[in-house]
Amino acid sequence: MTDKAKGISRRRVIKGLGATLGAAAFGAALSPLFQGGFMSAKELMQRHYKELSPEDKKEVLERLQADAKETFGRDVTIADPRPRPKTKFVYAINLSLCNGSGKCVEACHKENNHDRITKQSYIRVLEMPKGTMDMERGNTTYNHTVPAKDKFYMPVQCQQCDEPPCVDVCPVQATWKEKDGIVVVDYNWCIGCRYCMAACPYHARRFNWKKPYIPPEDINPNQGYLSNRVRQQGVVEKCHYCLHRTREGRLPACLEACPTGARVFGNFLDPKSSVRWVFENKRVYVLKEELGTKPSFFYFFDK
Amino acid sequence: MDTATTEASAKPPHWVSYPRFLMRAISAATDGSFLFYAWMTGLTAVFLVGANAWAHQVTSGMIYTHMTDHVSWGLYIANFTFLVGVAAGGVMMVIPAYLYNDRKMQDVVILGELLAIAAIISCLMFVIADLGRPDRFWHMMPPIGRFNFPFSMLTWDVIVLNGYLLINLHVVGYLLYTRFLGKTPNPRWYKPFVLLSIAWAISIHTVTAFLYSGLGGRPLWNSALLAPRFLASAFVSGPAFIILTMLVLRRFGGLRLPVQPMDTLMKIMRVTILINLLMLISELFTEFYAGGAHTSSARYLFFGHGEANALVPWIWTAIVFNVVAAVLIMRPTLIRHTGMLATICVLAFMGSWIEKGMGLIVPGFVPSPLHEYVEYLPSNLEWRLAAGVIAFGLLVYSASIKVAIPIMRGEMRFEQETSTK
Amino acid sequence: MERLLRSLAIVFLVTATVAIAGCGRDVVPETEAYATEPTGPTGIEIRPVPSVPTLAAGAPDANGHQVRVACSACHSMKKPDRTQRGGKPLATFHQGTHVAHGSLTCLSCHNEQDYDTLRLADSRSVAFENVMELCAQCHGPQARNYAHDAHGGMSGYWDTTRGVQTRNQCTHCHAPHAPAFPAMRPTFKPRDRFLSPVQESHR
Repeated sequence: MTDKAKGISRRRVIKGLGATLGAAAFGAALSPLFQGGFMSAKELMQRHYKELSPEDKKEVLERLQADAKETFGRDVTIADPRPRPKTKFVYAINLSLCNGSGKCVEACHKENNHDRITKQSYIRVLEMPKGTMDMERGNTTYNHTVPAKDKFYMPVQCQQCDEPPCVDVCPVQATWKEKDGIVVVDYNWCIGCRYCMAACPYHARRFNWKKPYIPPEDINPNQGYLSNRVRQQGVVEKCHYCLHRTREGRLPACLEACPTGARVFGNFLDPKSSVRWVFENKRVYVLKEELGTKPSFFYFFDK
Repeated sequence: MDTATTEASAKPPHWVSYPRFLMRAISAATDGSFLFYAWMTGLTAVFLVGANAWAHQVTSGMIYTHMTDHVSWGLYIANFTFLVGVAAGGVMMVIPAYLYNDRKMQDVVILGELLAIAAIISCLMFVIADLGRPDRFWHMMPPIGRFNFPFSMLTWDVIVLNGYLLINLHVVGYLLYTRFLGKTPNPRWYKPFVLLSIAWAISIHTVTAFLYSGLGGRPLWNSALLAPRFLASAFVSGPAFIILTMLVLRRFGGLRLPVQPMDTLMKIMRVTILINLLMLISELFTEFYAGGAHTSSARYLFFGHGEANALVPWIWTAIVFNVVAAVLIMRPTLIRHTGMLATICVLAFMGSWIEKGMGLIVPGFVPSPLHEYVEYLPSNLEWRLAAGVIAFGLLVYSASIKVAIPIMRGEMRFEQETSTK
Repeated sequence: MERLLRSLAIVFLVTATVAIAGCGRDVVPETEAYATEPTGPTGIEIRPVPSVPTLAAGAPDANGHQVRVACSACHSMKKPDRTQRGGKPLATFHQGTHVAHGSLTCLSCHNEQDYDTLRLADSRSVAFENVMELCAQCHGPQARNYAHDAHGGMSGYWDTTRGVQTRNQCTHCHAPHAPAFPAMRPTFKPRDRFLSPVQESHR
């Protein structure tokens, strides 16, 4: 063997050693991924919501209920109410009445099993000076007795747009608009790219930056697959007009909590409904109409 | 494949020569000087740190980033956007080389194509890094997933980025392999792809711009000028990085590269850097002269909003870098002053990195659609992860250059190996 | 190579077809009509108010119970004062009743003919439990909104064919003597992270 050949073979050994070391280091670097508990095979392989046959869906709901029992030690029922025919949900808020108490924010937080640490909620209330509609002058962090002088209060949540930009941008169709007007998210299909959050002009979407924490006794056990079941880490969620309640004919939690009766909710296709009456008899407006999102949510003033 | 320069008798079947080509490539990519080893080891170390940060982020949640519901995209998407530009900018070598048959350029055009490959790989890694649920990536893959094509611009971006990656892999792979065999590449097998890649390079950056400019609720992005601006800055950062590569190869790699291609790239930069500035000025004029609520993001970016002014130093740094680079690059004899040329390239590259990354993505979210000012600066974990991805891109780039250069120069040939055995 | 290209084209076409065909895979129905039979009571239920209000008479009885008496117990013997506004100037009873209700006097609403009822503007009497009729005389817009479910709040069902909707009356939210809705303190604020460090004990 020549010296050169010897050099080459020594180099080979060193290279092999380096490669082995590198691979080991790579495995060590990624080791947090293999610590388990992060995902289950069944969950990983689950199909899109719309592709679930009745049997599949039954299995999925049972699995999710068992998961909830295991994770939170709490018996919950996860139902999946579908939209009823001839129903289109519309929400209206009377800004002359809203006093900014934030009871709706809290009710949403509890009803929808939000993370208790970040005190998440689908609703934000803006305190606005009278005489402007410029949200730039609004403030959501006010913390004083309400209503303050010369201020009005504007709660903002998902506007359930008829032309939802968030739905268009989703690369995997994990969010869509249902027949009764509610824009929903399949939490088991969302990949967490957060493009919808960038697209939403109403700051309506929330991301689960971590696994939600809720004390078991605080969990609302009346849950829906597309609504308030406890979300996973890393997926986007949003207001769903409490569809687990409203599709059963009940009122949304935020409306029931409102101390001033500023909130009006109902089926817009029913000519005798309250929202319809308000729409036909009040001067109403929608947020950011110029964007062409066509909200199913409007505001009005009484005086 | 009948234009082989060597005798036909020595032509082995592909199933013999192609694996050997790969083996030789791997061997060449891992051979080098002490400096090369140090460089590659350093990059690997940084990459591993990034991989660890990612594993941490995936398991514990993105709470460890500084992104919020208000600023829901940060450093990852900023880098993604910028690197798409770098990838697209690589085409600025391809156009003169193949479209105008610039012979000198053809010798080094491979650098541009390799840069495109490395940059696209980094881009895709940044997209994965940004996902909250990377385990569900398959949801995007037709036919098993549900690909929201053609409605979601992100699906367009996935298509064009992967397409661009494939085109460049094909062109580079084909050219290197035929050269390795000692043949003259048959234009039939690469010319159409090269032409396609030129159009495709424009498309990747246009589509990436549309990703943002299509969002009506984000006034800073919702501008028709965004796509042209992206392209202009891409054609600054891409060539700048290639010039830097050539300077490094000359200085540390001991390679004698022709000066002319570098000169061409510099001339391209002279124009594109000005176009980029012009577009920036146009954008700023419409934002600030008319004013109004939709300009609040721009005002926040350049001047801050009360206490909130985290991005002000970033953007002014970028502006200064860009302007200084634009002025200095005008020097007629610049090509002979490599130190200054390198400085200019670094300035221009960093300038457009800030302008298109932190300076474009983050202020799009500030103020939020409800006009709240929530600021964002990357967390430690985000920096580590981003550094890891960039280190991986550089690893790919360095290793592939290490393979490509000897093949292109005819120093690594199939028959050499067979004859020595 | 040509064969490779051709097969690539085929793969692409197949993928595209499958992707398009994939849209037809949805099996979940868009709407679903459930059985319409409600499981419980339905309709609108208005929360009652006491039909005859009573007042603590003062000292407790022998068993220690507070004695409560109806208005007519005292007022049937007293001469009505039509100028009286608010309870403060009174020598006995009602001193604590703060009145801030426009320029109304006590007898604008209380019926001097029968203190256990209220009095409409045209001097017809109206029972306490129908107080909304009285309020509606002046607060027409609110009454109209209320009649259309757009004032007063509610709970239960929006769809009254499927369950009971519970509604308030005026005096559930508005104190009749000082009807302005009370000021409140917001008790719950979402804590957006605002770049604050992660501070949590549970994950």
